[in-house]
Amino acid sequence: MKIRTAVLTAAGPGQRGLPLEPLIDREGRKTCVLAAQLDEVFSAGLETAVLVVEPGAQPEYSAVLGRRAERVRFVEQSEPLGYAHALSLGLEACGDEPCLHLVGDHLFVADVLGGCARAIVEIAEQEGTTVCAVRSTREHSISEFGVVGGDPVAGRPGLFEVRRVIEKPTPTLAERELLVPGLRAGHYLGFFGVHALERSTVRALREAVAVGASASSGLGLSKVLDDAAGSERILAFEPPGRRFDLSDRYGLFAAQLAIGLEGVDREILLETVSRVLLERERRRAAEEQR
Amino acid sequence: MTVGSGPETSRLVRAIRSTDRSERDRSFEDLIDGLSVDELLQEVEALERFRAECEEPYAVVRAAMFLNAMYRFTLPRLGACDGPGTVDADSWRLVLSRRFEEAVQYFRRVAAESADEAGRPTAALASGLAAAYRGLAFQRLSELVRKSVRSVRGNAWMFRTGHPFDHPLRIHKALLETDERGAFPVLRESTPVRLDLTHSAWSDIFFLGMDYPEGARVLNASVGLCPLGDESGPKPPIDVYLRVIEEPVLRLTSVDLQTTADLERCTDLFDFGRDHLGLLKAGLCAAGFVPPGLEGADLPMRAVLERVVGPGLGLELITEVHELPKGSRLAVSTSLLASILSVTMRATRQVVGLEGALVEAERRIVAARAILGEWLGGSGGGWQDSGGIWPGLKLIEGEPAEEGDVEFETSRGRLLPKHAPLQGVDDRVALRRMIEEGLVLVHGGMAQDVGPVLEVVTEKYLLRSGDAWTARQESLRITDEILEALRSLDLRALAAATTRTFDGPIRAIVPQATNSYTERLRECVDEEFGEHSLGFVMLGGMSGGGMGFFLDPAAGEDRRLRVQAVLDRVHREVQDGVSFAMAPRVFDFNIDEVGTRARLLRGDEARLPNRYYALHVPRWLQRERQELSRSQRNELERLGEWSRLDSSEDELVPSLLSRLLPEAEPEQRFEGRTLDELLQDSGFDRRAHERQRLDLIEGRIGLSRNRLPTSMVVRDAEPSDVLETRGSMPSVWRSRGRTALSQGEAAVVTLAGGAASRWGGGVQVVKALDPFCRFRGRHRSLLEVHLAKTRQIGSELGVEIPHVVTTSLFTDAGVRRSIERAPELYEGVDLRLSPTRGIGLRLVPTLRDLRFHFHETERQTLDERAERMRDSVEQATLDWASEVGEATDYTGNLPELCLNPPGHFFEVPNMMRNGVLADLCASYPNLRTLCVHHVDSVGVNLQPERLGLHLERGVAASFEVVPRRVHDAGGALARIDGRARLVEGLAMPRDDTEWGLSYYNTGTTWVDIDRLLALFGLDRGDLRDRERVDEAIDGVAQRIPTYVTIKTVKRRFGLGQDDAHPVAQFEKLWGDLTSLPEFETDYHLVPRERGEQLKSPAQLDGWLREGNQGFIESLCRFSDEG
Repeated sequence: MKIRTAVLTAAGPGQRGLPLEPLIDREGRKTCVLAAQLDEVFSAGLETAVLVVEPGAQPEYSAVLGRRAERVRFVEQSEPLGYAHALSLGLEACGDEPCLHLVGDHLFVADVLGGCARAIVEIAEQEGTTVCAVRSTREHSISEFGVVGGDPVAGRPGLFEVRRVIEKPTPTLAERELLVPGLRAGHYLGFFGVHALERSTVRALREAVAVGASASSGLGLSKVLDDAAGSERILAFEPPGRRFDLSDRYGLFAAQLAIGLEGVDREILLETVSRVLLERERRRAAEEQR
Repeated sequence: MTVGSGPETSRLVRAIRSTDRSERDRSFEDLIDGLSVDELLQEVEALERFRAECEEPYAVVRAAMFLNAMYRFTLPRLGACDGPGTVDADSWRLVLSRRFEEAVQYFRRVAAESADEAGRPTAALASGLAAAYRGLAFQRLSELVRKSVRSVRGNAWMFRTGHPFDHPLRIHKALLETDERGAFPVLRESTPVRLDLTHSAWSDIFFLGMDYPEGARVLNASVGLCPLGDESGPKPPIDVYLRVIEEPVLRLTSVDLQTTADLERCTDLFDFGRDHLGLLKAGLCAAGFVPPGLEGADLPMRAVLERVVGPGLGLELITEVHELPKGSRLAVSTSLLASILSVTMRATRQVVGLEGALVEAERRIVAARAILGEWLGGSGGGWQDSGGIWPGLKLIEGEPAEEGDVEFETSRGRLLPKHAPLQGVDDRVALRRMIEEGLVLVHGGMAQDVGPVLEVVTEKYLLRSGDAWTARQESLRITDEILEALRSLDLRALAAATTRTFDGPIRAIVPQATNSYTERLRECVDEEFGEHSLGFVMLGGMSGGGMGFFLDPAAGEDRRLRVQAVLDRVHREVQDGVSFAMAPRVFDFNIDEVGTRARLLRGDEARLPNRYYALHVPRWLQRERQELSRSQRNELERLGEWSRLDSSEDELVPSLLSRLLPEAEPEQRFEGRTLDELLQDSGFDRRAHERQRLDLIEGRIGLSRNRLPTSMVVRDAEPSDVLETRGSMPSVWRSRGRTALSQGEAAVVTLAGGAASRWGGGVQVVKALDPFCRFRGRHRSLLEVHLAKTRQIGSELGVEIPHVVTTSLFTDAGVRRSIERAPELYEGVDLRLSPTRGIGLRLVPTLRDLRFHFHETERQTLDERAERMRDSVEQATLDWASEVGEATDYTGNLPELCLNPPGHFFEVPNMMRNGVLADLCASYPNLRTLCVHHVDSVGVNLQPERLGLHLERGVAASFEVVPRRVHDAGGALARIDGRARLVEGLAMPRDDTEWGLSYYNTGTTWVDIDRLLALFGLDRGDLRDRERVDEAIDGVAQRIPTYVTIKTVKRRFGLGQDDAHPVAQFEKLWGDLTSLPEFETDYHLVPRERGEQLKSPAQLDGWLREGNQGFIESLCRFSDEG
């Protein structure tokens, strides 16, 4: 299996504009979320990217792509029929070939050279199967993600064989179905927002969307993966890195802070944060004295 | 088989460790059969070593239970542990504080130091060891269940959620969608209850299912109910409503208990005992809405609500149980809990479907949460009790624990059983119809606490007690027959099988599971329906509450009405001696084929029960309109519309009006008289009462003042202070006693004027008339037994012996009715009643006394949950006393529960006052001695040897004492100022003083009439002089201390529900006569079986297992025995 294309979904309601948010990258250069995501994808060795966007959003996105534009194709989701539908459109555009899928409202800050995308693609190509990036997630926030239950693969740290996938479970359900040996109590493998999809998974998702069963429910990918896990080998990989949901309150700020602290501006950033905190404390002390 | 000292050679240890079923399941009695006392003591040592080293939990529990049985029953029965001695205070305190393991070690050390030459512990130490081992066994068992409950998958996360920020649940979006008027929808869960047709010998107790899953099997039907004749027909008796509200509070309302509360802090939710909403709180907690991990977090409820429901919003939970009284044995509280859980889990998306029935996996997690909720709320339930959430008829079976289960390698079975629809039924509709038409479901009106029964069953199971174990196997065979009868639609076979379960296994395991009331009902139903009466089924832990009669439908359409008539008749017949919570009634029922189900109600459909509005609308109307939330204003408008449209049967307006303008409640009566009339007719001394009230308020009397000063040295009696009478007694005493009896020199006095609060469980009952136990094939009352003992001695000697029964306002009419109804039972003795006139009016206790009662007396610490529950209830009691008014008259209950007899001191002196003693002396001029005993001293009789001894000694009175056991509390023989006397338990300077006294007072006294009269300054000639007698009694009474005591009474409300009220009363006690120096007394050490008093029904099982039934029968000649 060879993965050449990435599919980024950025058509969600309220998501418009998020990929365009400005960022300072590790080298201290001005960029934006979308550009950072594409850089990660291309540095992983992928050739092209398909970007699924809302109708009319293409010009805004094109404007920030720069030289990356020639490797990016746009697909418009004409009706807001949900995440699975958007993904299905992207998959169709890459000819139902194996692909790497990233959600547009998340940013990944990798602790490894080459980023999360490269690690996932390498495992998928090596194992010839679908691989989902996951992250150990505390139970109080699993209701925001697809969650994977599985067993560690012997001798392969961070790699799991998937048994079940449930979208946004409650911990009540997660405890019964999604426990993973070796994880801390109350922690589960939540989706990281990056998936290397093998051809059969791509096809299954497209079929599921075509029959309309889960197009509007937003459960498409998790359901398809859950069904597939019963009959074929699906893997989950926990890449050393962090994921930031940019649609969260302070999500973008947290992502920027994490990138900055890993990069050349670390000292400046620390000094800025310290100054803010110090001034606040001084003011409070002065108020108390008064 | 040989016996050695090591675990390897011990018979008992081998049985526990054996992998061979037939060896492992041998009964305790069989295993120890033929062993001598020394060999038994070796077995004890081997068991203890095995217990200390073994790591297998159930083996440890079984060993501990064997040790308990050894010390409690086996060794004492062989006379091996009956030496007098004291209770080691340090060891006993460890038992009281639930440190059982340490207590065992302490007791063993003391026992080793103080054992007699043969190495046998005293009665006090043996009973202490028995209590410690028993406590240890039950503690381990509950730890095992608790661990499983907490670790069941799906439950564990709730214990990790320690802050609202960690809260993972979110309300279902549909519940936030308001209608056009801004009203939130209402989610309604309707839940049937479960009816157990098989019983299967209490195999649904968690411990049993987890240790013996293959023996845990019941057939359980989900049923809907309605009162007999209700035209709307049966329906699920539980409705729970949930909705979002616009105030950031958690609002709980129990419609049937007419209670509501707004919880504003998380700690309020964990205060389970504060009001009648404990079950609702436990449900919300177990559902994870306020997870148990938040217990102790003193946070505003707003923080949780904001996270789960949304900013500024709250949640309202409303429960309604339709016409189903407490004690129905249909697992109403567990079903209600399951219903609360189901609706809350739907609302928080833990259950997928917001509406409709649950799927199997969801039912299982709701059932697991119900177990958790019961543990959190401190209530109990069986493992089948959530059966109502499943549909129809299903077989529930224990499952072996397998690898991967949290129970694996700890228990043999899983905590949760498996549920499966009954297989092999061709025509389910016909089966359903057969049960619905063939079974008449009744509530007999009793609502006993079945907790002690469940402990007894567990204990007998662990011991594999001979009869009980055989009965358990028999019960499993009958369960197969029941299943077969159902499959083949054979009503007769079904009824015959359930009847056999009751008459066989149930009664063999727990004889007191039946009672005279149930037996009488069965007789009367058989008489009424003849061949159409097919059989009986007991529901739940005991009979007397929920029960069923199988009747051939050919008996006629009116068969249920006729059963109701039988219930009413028998209820009237036995009510003096039996504690009823309510009048008995018949129910219509159907088998529910859906199980628990929910509907989302919007708009006009989103209407709550009328009784909800009756409770809340008056509160809303008291507030300004602008203070009401938008939804409350809308709801008022809607109510207006509904009331204008309402059909008359809905009764919204009348119920609102009766709440707003309540009618005066009719005054309660006892024996036809109101409280005021009773006080007036009984010569209540209002002036003395006011004086005592003032003394109480000002602290001159009170619980702490009951005690002798701590500076007083209270020492244990010396062996020379008592006369040993437990072995064979000289024939000279016997002949002297027989002669005296033949010449009419002695009479029996049974003190039966008490209010029997403990026996009736806080409800007034005539204890003497309670047919408490079967003797010679029939349930017989204490009174019948006492007379039978006197009759036997009289008939041996060919004389009729006088037997006086003292009565009081509480018992007199009941006793008289009983004699009138069946005079033949009382023939063959010269029975005379001695009614006591005096009466006291109970008071609301002072806060000082309540605190003393709760905190200053040594008492058993409960397990963690139950202890918190008790704290919570006690705080609520303090609030109640403060609100009602300390030391005010207690009048808010049935008249008989507001009054108290003045104490048993007065019962004999009263015989002087009411002429009974004078008449007796006139009828029996030789009468010299009275044998005075409490009504609950079942083993006392006019044994000639004892009378002979008393006469021989020539003392004023001989009091009977027994060697102390740890649970004996209430009074003991002590040395004070160099003189032996009895000290009442209330008067002990410290709690532990009593533990250091070796001889426990049985309350039985042989009294010389003339010397007693002399003590009062009277002689026989004065007995007709009423004024002189009154003066004399007052004179002595003033020298006797008055105690303030706290008794707990129940206040009934709703359908069999009750509140427990501790009340204060004043009493003078008979044993204090021994404090008068001129009253010369002896103390006789008597055998336990003679001295044992039955103070509470929970003692019955142990009393029977000690072999007392046979002993009593040997003393009795009943009137129907010719």
